[in-house]
Amino acid sequence: MSTLELIGLTKRFSGRPVVNDVSLSVADGEFVCILGPSGCGKSTTLRMIGGFEEATQGDVRIDGASVLDLPPNRRPTAMVFQKYTLWPHMRVAENIAFGLGLRGLPRTEIEREVKQSLALVGLSGYDRRYPAQLSGGEQQRVALARALVLKPKLLLLDEPFSNLDALLRVRLREELHAIQRRIQITAVFVTHDQEEALSLADRIAVMNAGRLEQLDTPDQIYARPRTLFVADFIGQMNLLPATLEDGRLRLGRHVLPAPERLPGNMPLTVAVRPEDLAVVAPNRETDPGTLWQARIDQAIDLGHYRKILAFAPGLFVDAQAAGTVRLKIYAPKHFNAREGDPLWLRPDRYLVYPGGMAPIEIRQPLVAADHSASAIVM
Amino acid sequence: MTTRPIAPKTTNTVWPQRLKDHVLPYLLVAPPILLMTLLIFLPAGQAIVETVWIDGAVTVAEYIKFFQSPILTANLWFTFWITLATVGLLFVIGLPLSLYLRFARGRIAAAVQMLALFPLFVPGVILAYALIRAIGPHGLFDTLLHQIGIDGYVSPYLKPQGILIALVWQEIPFTVLVLTAGLRQVEDTMIESARDVGASDWQTFWRIIFPLIQRALVIVFSLNVIGTFGAFTIPYLLGPAQPMMMGVSMQQTFNNYMDRTGALTQAVLTFAFCAAVGVLYVRTVTRSPEGRP
Ligand SMILES: Nc1ncnc2c1ncn2[C@@H]1O[C@H](COP(=O)(O)OP(=O)(O)OP(=O)(O)O)[C@@H](O)[C@H]1O
Ligand SMILES: [Mg+2]
Repeated sequence: MSTLELIGLTKRFSGRPVVNDVSLSVADGEFVCILGPSGCGKSTTLRMIGGFEEATQGDVRIDGASVLDLPPNRRPTAMVFQKYTLWPHMRVAENIAFGLGLRGLPRTEIEREVKQSLALVGLSGYDRRYPAQLSGGEQQRVALARALVLKPKLLLLDEPFSNLDALLRVRLREELHAIQRRIQITAVFVTHDQEEALSLADRIAVMNAGRLEQLDTPDQIYARPRTLFVADFIGQMNLLPATLEDGRLRLGRHVLPAPERLPGNMPLTVAVRPEDLAVVAPNRETDPGTLWQARIDQAIDLGHYRKILAFAPGLFVDAQAAGTVRLKIYAPKHFNAREGDPLWLRPDRYLVYPGGMAPIEIRQPLVAADHSASAIVM
Repeated sequence: MTTRPIAPKTTNTVWPQRLKDHVLPYLLVAPPILLMTLLIFLPAGQAIVETVWIDGAVTVAEYIKFFQSPILTANLWFTFWITLATVGLLFVIGLPLSLYLRFARGRIAAAVQMLALFPLFVPGVILAYALIRAIGPHGLFDTLLHQIGIDGYVSPYLKPQGILIALVWQEIPFTVLVLTAGLRQVEDTMIESARDVGASDWQTFWRIIFPLIQRALVIVFSLNVIGTFGAFTIPYLLGPAQPMMMGVSMQQTFNNYMDRTGALTQAVLTFAFCAAVGVLYVRTVTRSPEGRP
């Protein structure tokens, strides 16, 4: 049973806040990913949990007790670093046994533990090798075994797989997931790879410029990003400026149903996922105001589907945006898309971001004829 | 059936490759080997021959003479002793200094590094004279002590301590450079991993850092031993008249006593000792990198 709490955790390097008032709690056995762009303070946050960086403010609590006063060698955490983490002069078994030896365990017990942890990461029989005789993936597995063998309360991983090639990364990620589920260890995993975070985490903490933007399940992060940053950072998103006009959203020449009780006089942004932009047949009878007309600029084959980039000048007031911003659309593989072809689009689901506030989600019924019946989900 | 032999077309492409693989390396190592042969091995061989081939017969009389002379053996022991003390002090000062420079950041560390490397840019002679002016009799240090009312300062000038201080000062830059380079090979993550699994600072140093910088330690040890054992300028300018270090002793034997063979004998002994340490150096440097058995 181990929980982690960060309370108003802040780190400043010579006055510059690098981690800014981050509060979150991780439940027992939970796997939380800290996700964010390079330099946003993910590693610094993790290093404060592990004790490698002193917190400027705030608290780190493990099982309810503050660990701020403990040096890394006395914290109940174990860390797996990105690279150069094994000691090159020690064999695999010696690497894993080192921490156990420091704790004065009897030799037979050490040997048994080393064997067990090597089996756990699928490297039985590698104990006599030196790190230089292992592949990058094997080295990271040994590092994981070395961390787990100490039975830490909290496993910390700082981009442990980002030095590996894409295929291996996916495989190790799945193995880690299985191991974590099996031994039920509480884990915090830092990554800048959203696919990794989405596939591994029970919950994702999205960070930006030192702040925690959102802490939520992968589903919710994807479906309802709380801030424009998260909306833009996670997955593909079309972000369109809008204004409120006669109770409707105006985007250039087009209008969309607006949520009720929108605060007026605020810059609004409409966010539409590519998969929520339906490509519809050009039917003259449908309201031309609700369908967006676009022109295909580029079609990219992505295996089982096509990504289409299209200009939709009608959506923008700003002439420059009209000529440069391209909508991202997903179409089935057989969809015949030629450069310059016209395209009609209907946003089935979108999020409205009023200023810096939480978004309001709107679903349009599949039949576009009656848009007074738009469902509004708060 | 036409069985016209086709000229192997590959020869054209193979030749430059072969040139690169088999000829170029020899061309590259030829000049240094030639130079070393001409300037070191030939004279050294000649010297050895000259000390054992006397009046048309092989003899070790010169060496017996050396070891029977109390003055000369005292010189040899003195040289050993100074070398040991110098190298020991270099480790005692250089290792903590290098650890500090490896892990400290900021302006103070940069200043310390500059100070530590400073003697690198000062020729030995100038360094020796600067020391005489600073800590010699009636030098800066003496005067300062006198000003604040402390008398009876005993200068290390013309004493073994004088040689020690100057040699240590002169060799610190090299020691620190090599040790910090070795320490930089020890990645931060390796040290943090050790802390992470529960190692104290001392355990981290002894079990992780120390084994990983062994190569740097051996390089520092062997090159400092060789440099100190064969030192001349500093012992000549700062050392006592008796006993002398081997370098000074050789010069005296050659110039003052006009004993060419005696000087050569001392040179051969010095060379033999340094060469033995040199073997240690070469074996360490050419050994495969850490972790690759
Ligand atoms: N010791 C330090 N001194 C000064 N600034 C630092 C220090 N460590 C990190 N920083 C700065 O703090 C910011 C956050 O660094 P951090 O390593 O936490 O980012 P990150 O989110 O892990 O990025 P990445 O994905 O590139 O690893 C960066 O701008 C970095 O330059
Ligand atoms: Mg990082």
